[in-house]
Amino acid sequence: MFVVCVLFTLTILTILGLVIGYLIWIGAGSLSIKFFTELPSGKVADPGGMKHALIGTAVLIGLASLVGIPLGLLAGIYLSEYSREWWLASPVRFISDVLAGVPSIVVGILGYELLVVPLGRYNGWAGAMALAFIMVPIVARTTEEMLRLVPHSYREASLALGATKARTILRVVLPAATGSVVTGIMLAIARVAGETAPLLFTALGSRFLTTNPNLPFPSLTVQIFTYATGPYPEQKRLAWAGILVLICLIFVLNLAIRLTARSVRVAK
Amino acid sequence: MPATAPAQIELPPPAPPQSRRRREWSSIMQDRGLRLSSDTVLSWLTRGSSLAILGMLVTLLVVLTIAAVPSMKAYGLSFLTSSEWRPNELEQPRRGPDGKVVMEDGELVIETLPPQFGALPVIYGTAVSSALALLFAVPLSLGAALFLVRIAPRIKVSAPVSFLIEFLAAIPSIAYGIWGLFVLVPFLQGVEMSLHQSLAHVPGLHWMFYSTLQVGTSTVERPIAMTGRDMLCGGLILGIMVLPIITAVSRDVLSAVPRAQIEGTQALGATWWQSSWEMLRYSRSGLFGAIMLGLARASGETMAVTMVIGNNNQIVLSPFAPAQTMSSLLANEFAEASSELHRSALVQVALILLLMSLAFNVAARWLVVGKEARTAAAH
Amino acid sequence: MVRWFMSLAAVVLGASVASAEVRLQGAGATFPNPIYQRWVTEYQKSHPDVKIDYQSIGSGGGIKGITEKTIDFAGSDAPMSKKELDAAGAPVVHIPTVAGSVVLAYNLPGFKGELKLTGPIVADIYLGKITRWNDAAIAAINPGVRLPASAITPAWRTDGSGTTFVFTNYLATQSDQYKETVGAGKQVKWPVGQGGKGNEGVTAVVQGTPGAIGYIEVNYANANKIPHALMQNKDGKYVKATPESVAAAGAGAVQQMDKSLAVDIWNQPGADSYPIAAFTYIIVYKDLGYLKDGAKAKALVDFLGWATTTGQSLASEMDYAPLAAPVQAKVKEAIGGLIWDGKPVLAAN
Repeated sequence: MFVVCVLFTLTILTILGLVIGYLIWIGAGSLSIKFFTELPSGKVADPGGMKHALIGTAVLIGLASLVGIPLGLLAGIYLSEYSREWWLASPVRFISDVLAGVPSIVVGILGYELLVVPLGRYNGWAGAMALAFIMVPIVARTTEEMLRLVPHSYREASLALGATKARTILRVVLPAATGSVVTGIMLAIARVAGETAPLLFTALGSRFLTTNPNLPFPSLTVQIFTYATGPYPEQKRLAWAGILVLICLIFVLNLAIRLTARSVRVAK
Repeated sequence: MPATAPAQIELPPPAPPQSRRRREWSSIMQDRGLRLSSDTVLSWLTRGSSLAILGMLVTLLVVLTIAAVPSMKAYGLSFLTSSEWRPNELEQPRRGPDGKVVMEDGELVIETLPPQFGALPVIYGTAVSSALALLFAVPLSLGAALFLVRIAPRIKVSAPVSFLIEFLAAIPSIAYGIWGLFVLVPFLQGVEMSLHQSLAHVPGLHWMFYSTLQVGTSTVERPIAMTGRDMLCGGLILGIMVLPIITAVSRDVLSAVPRAQIEGTQALGATWWQSSWEMLRYSRSGLFGAIMLGLARASGETMAVTMVIGNNNQIVLSPFAPAQTMSSLLANEFAEASSELHRSALVQVALILLLMSLAFNVAARWLVVGKEARTAAAH
Repeated sequence: MVRWFMSLAAVVLGASVASAEVRLQGAGATFPNPIYQRWVTEYQKSHPDVKIDYQSIGSGGGIKGITEKTIDFAGSDAPMSKKELDAAGAPVVHIPTVAGSVVLAYNLPGFKGELKLTGPIVADIYLGKITRWNDAAIAAINPGVRLPASAITPAWRTDGSGTTFVFTNYLATQSDQYKETVGAGKQVKWPVGQGGKGNEGVTAVVQGTPGAIGYIEVNYANANKIPHALMQNKDGKYVKATPESVAAAGAGAVQQMDKSLAVDIWNQPGADSYPIAAFTYIIVYKDLGYLKDGAKAKALVDFLGWATTTGQSLASEMDYAPLAAPVQAKVKEAIGGLIWDGKPVLAAN
């Protein structure tokens, strides 16, 4: 049975290797500098690059973070620092966890009903807000967990010195947990960078480099999906290159998260 | 002692007036009698954000319910039990009770059947693909969790192995979809075709390779084409995707088992497997919660499934037949829903999906957190 | 931190400020997508500040978009039905741009030669009655060729599609049982087979599935070197889909174009006609006020005029049939009738 456990673990690692290995192999074979520098050409034999999609994803994540990070941070601070003051804190924590598990396509439909229909067209704001909806519970819960790890003695010392509660939180507790809170934010960004379903009917997609969020917005994931499910081999190559770029981005973020977490633990 | 007058005590000069020092905002506010302090501001801001999270859930439920009302009114409960998903109108000649067409004034009477929406095939698709996913993932995950908790710490590989398994969770769904489409589908195509050649004649397995179809008044038996893009492929991909979450939560649950419990079994002479089994038995509610979390993730997964499941909105028992899940139906049809009723029916499907995933998540949290609270309380 | 925020805000807000460029958003049919993308690229060479974005999401999506006015123009192979016209509220104009054909593309490894099919056989395949490639009916019309015994997987569209509309309407003329069981429309319930999204998706399904057959626009089949069948037309001849055979199918169209330019050209008589041919349309409202910008109205009308005259030379290169001269005349008349602010747009020039 001991052997069975080892075998099962090796199976999982093998599957991981197969998936990642294949994606890296086809991605590396298809990646070229054109991918980063060119816009789609409209020709199927030579589709150009995905510069518009890379910038599109960056802008969407930026807009989503503008709303998602502050909201999540504040909620996390509430859940960790003020939870004894109000009976609503425990349900909010529970609901936060539950919201994190909502299928992302349902979030996309919410974005469509709330932000596409009234505005009259597919637009980047709807996509960004759908991503923000996914970010908020993740940021809130990780912030709460990280702030709870700050020793109580910090808070007590600060209060004993006469600081107000707000000052304690903002000047003492939060700075002590900065590394780990940033980790939580990076986790949320890594999660949201790979999302496709919420963008399918909110931001739709575009061939052009767009910076106006009132219009349909390109994104890396939707562009990869469009190319990969089509019949044209040149477009599929671009899709594979895009997947490699996406995976590298997520890998780098995850590595950074691990290293930050480890250095935070060492510092304590 | 000489009688001297007490010396004049030199007092320090008086403090400079307050106005010369920069005053803190809060003390200015206090002087003016204003209650608003940074304390209150932060307290209200954070409280507002928490309410916003509550609001998010409420908004989600309310908006989807309102948008689904037209479909709920049109189909009622039959939405959950009907297998007919037909977005177009059908023009048929009316038939009498004897099955012959009705003629009036020498012409056929054509009646128009309105669109019909029934969600049973996609509910079936989600249920079966999630079940297949768990069938594949649960044994592997539990084995890996035991490895991580009992074996890995001794050979110092727990950190790297944990990292690698959690990296599986970070891979975006569309990457799995692409891998599935270009690697798993052709592989399964080959496997299924050879299975078909060797096993299709076995009487007990007939249902796996043939399906019966009602065409008009006759029944046709068709061989199921082994294309690789079917329920089995969808289930396998989902299984791979839920491996990390079940492993991670199971590992956490198993590591919370008190050492005394394990040492007790070992003192009584248990083998490695027997003490592991005791660990699993002790934390069974937490493990069940981990499986529920995996189920929640599997049922809500969209992109990977859409690319490999074949997109056929029908109930066919064979795992080698194409199928459709609730999320892949939404991904395929929502953007181009042809009528208000169609879109409303799709939102109703989304609502069912949402309620299902909420139910699984709530049950999972209750099982996992509840168990930890009970363990903590007992010690 | 503050500076980063300010620059991001500037990018976001500044981009909303109107610039000299005009942007038009179209969406809809995947059937004409290859030629629309080509037209847009060519048009931009001579009109660099007009950016036209066409998203191929299926005719159903296009019609929905133009009804809700979330896009500026819709592409559709299916004319708007009475219900859809009522939902739109204002009068719409269907402008035929090119004629194309729906072909039955197949994936039969090891099969050499050209497959012949008839309408009733295709209907039976999609009904599920014909299950194997070496069925007696198919073998009878393909004498002397070895057909494999493998199962047939019909592939179809999962999205609201004008290609489906054309194909199902054609099948409804070929088989009564088909008409009563499955019916015609942009999105129907298919009894058997597998689905793909867009012409692109069905092409991908056919490419990847041995034994599959799927209905796609001819351009997708040729661009990916997928063989397609010769179809028997109304006169009994087996015809391959070429710009010429499609043009032959559209020859009689002009006579029916009195009330509306939306005319069906499937199952037409003529020895050289391809039986599953169709016009594809760009749909706009007669009153272009919904564009909210005179420059956009002018650009749209100009583009439509260019596409239906100069752009036609690109059509046959891409396996579409250009509009016949009498049809072009009718189209010019229709474009001349588009109004902005109460006056025809073209007259303002």
